[in-house]
Amino acid sequence: MNASSHLQADGSTTPVWWVGLRYIVAIVVGAIFVYAGALKVADPVAFARDISNFHILPWPVGVRLAFYLPWLEIICGLTLLLRWFRSGATAILTALTAVFIGATIVARLRGIDVNCGCFGSASKDLTFGWHLAIDFTILGALILLWSLQRARAR
Amino acid sequence: MNLKARLLFVALILGALPAAHAQLAWEKTELEFRPKLGEKEVVAQFRYENKGTKQVTFKNLKSTCGCTVASLKKNEVEPGEKGEITATFSIGGRTGLQHKAVMVETDDPAQPTLNLQLHVYIPEALSMQPSFVYWQTGEEPKPKTITIKAGEGVAISKLDVSSSIPDFTTKVKRGSKDGEFLVSVQPKNTAQALTATLTIKPDYPKTLYASARVTPPGSLGDFR
Amino acid sequence: MTRDLLRQTALLLVIALVPAIGQAVYYRDRVSWNAPAVEKDEVTIEQARAWGANVLWVDARPDDQFARQHVPNAVPLNEDRWDELLPRFLETWSPDRRVVVYCSSQSCAASHEVARRLREQAGLPAVFVLHGGWEAWLEGNK
Repeated sequence: MNASSHLQADGSTTPVWWVGLRYIVAIVVGAIFVYAGALKVADPVAFARDISNFHILPWPVGVRLAFYLPWLEIICGLTLLLRWFRSGATAILTALTAVFIGATIVARLRGIDVNCGCFGSASKDLTFGWHLAIDFTILGALILLWSLQRARAR
Repeated sequence: MNLKARLLFVALILGALPAAHAQLAWEKTELEFRPKLGEKEVVAQFRYENKGTKQVTFKNLKSTCGCTVASLKKNEVEPGEKGEITATFSIGGRTGLQHKAVMVETDDPAQPTLNLQLHVYIPEALSMQPSFVYWQTGEEPKPKTITIKAGEGVAISKLDVSSSIPDFTTKVKRGSKDGEFLVSVQPKNTAQALTATLTIKPDYPKTLYASARVTPPGSLGDFR
Repeated sequence: MTRDLLRQTALLLVIALVPAIGQAVYYRDRVSWNAPAVEKDEVTIEQARAWGANVLWVDARPDDQFARQHVPNAVPLNEDRWDELLPRFLETWSPDRRVVVYCSSQSCAASHEVARRLREQAGLPAVFVLHGGWEAWLEGNK
């Protein structure tokens, strides 16, 4: 074993740069979700309206989710930032992102002009293509994190 | 580490990139204007260039307001071609900061719709607050005040007010600030319904019209 | 899925409920929980109809649209010719009328602008915007 690799619990080694990548991805993804969550916490009524624009959930459900989801994003994002690599947080955020991508695509196919709302008023001018690109990148990063965590746990 | 997940991650990133690359590049999609006093309209040019490899066709231009008319020279844009969308905003009787948008539809799957935004700061030569004063019949005929303020860059030193019917008396006083005038309006009595137009002439080429009325009382009651 | 993962997930889902419920309680009177809120100054076509003859309809659409078709007895008042049209509107108005402003389609902001100016510049007490605009009127009149 030398300085450029890390000894794992099961005796295998991973290169140090790989461990660094894990931290960086966790911090970046965590920060994104804390930011996105905070923007929505600032105006839950606006977020409720954005959710209702998808025309997928009935209003009473959507408005309650509008209060819950942003906090869930913040808590999970914080968990990642604090470098605990909670696989639970990653699982939840991955599920949220995947569901959101699905809902966006479904809404678009139905011809609804969905103004994201995921980044609050900051995302008002993003085109659909860029929205999807950003969401897929986040999803990719989450899946990467997931696999990194599972590798660590083995 | 998990090779499959790595590949999936890279594939996702690569898959997302073409979706993000729109054919048309816009010089600016938001424009701001500060027209001068007396200008009746604002003409904005939104310039674009087809930096992609395929022809792009504009399918529709829709404005959020009848006051903003958008036009194009031709609908098809070949790769490498440049052009512009001209949006003409008629100011009309509007005041203050106005936001108007033109929604553009194209056949480019990476940018099927786009909002071109126009922000216009409309200068006001004179402002009048309120533009309407009223009393109900039987109400005590107390005087009510209309405040006239000169806008930026406008200087007024006097104000003449006249009423279309003699039943309303008017008095002009200077306000506490420069270019501010207080017009006090009072009906002689509120025994019967009256309608009057007050003509306010400052020493500036713009005349303001305010309305004054004595109205019969109504059963206002509860609004909801 | 390990038991650890399930435990963490459940824990996070529950922890997030705490601030969420706290915020919901704080907002409890400011949010409509059962149906999408009609904005404060808006009325539905049913409400406006219920007011009957007390309503003074104001058409905030461009002149040509008003000329083609409008709510019976509606007064035109748009931002293009505000200074010209306002005095005529004010002559028609009286304190017992409830002003309901409409323009075409949900996304049109003109009715809100006209309503705002009537409230702020003319100082009128009861000014509302028709939820759903001209389309709601047409729907209701079928």
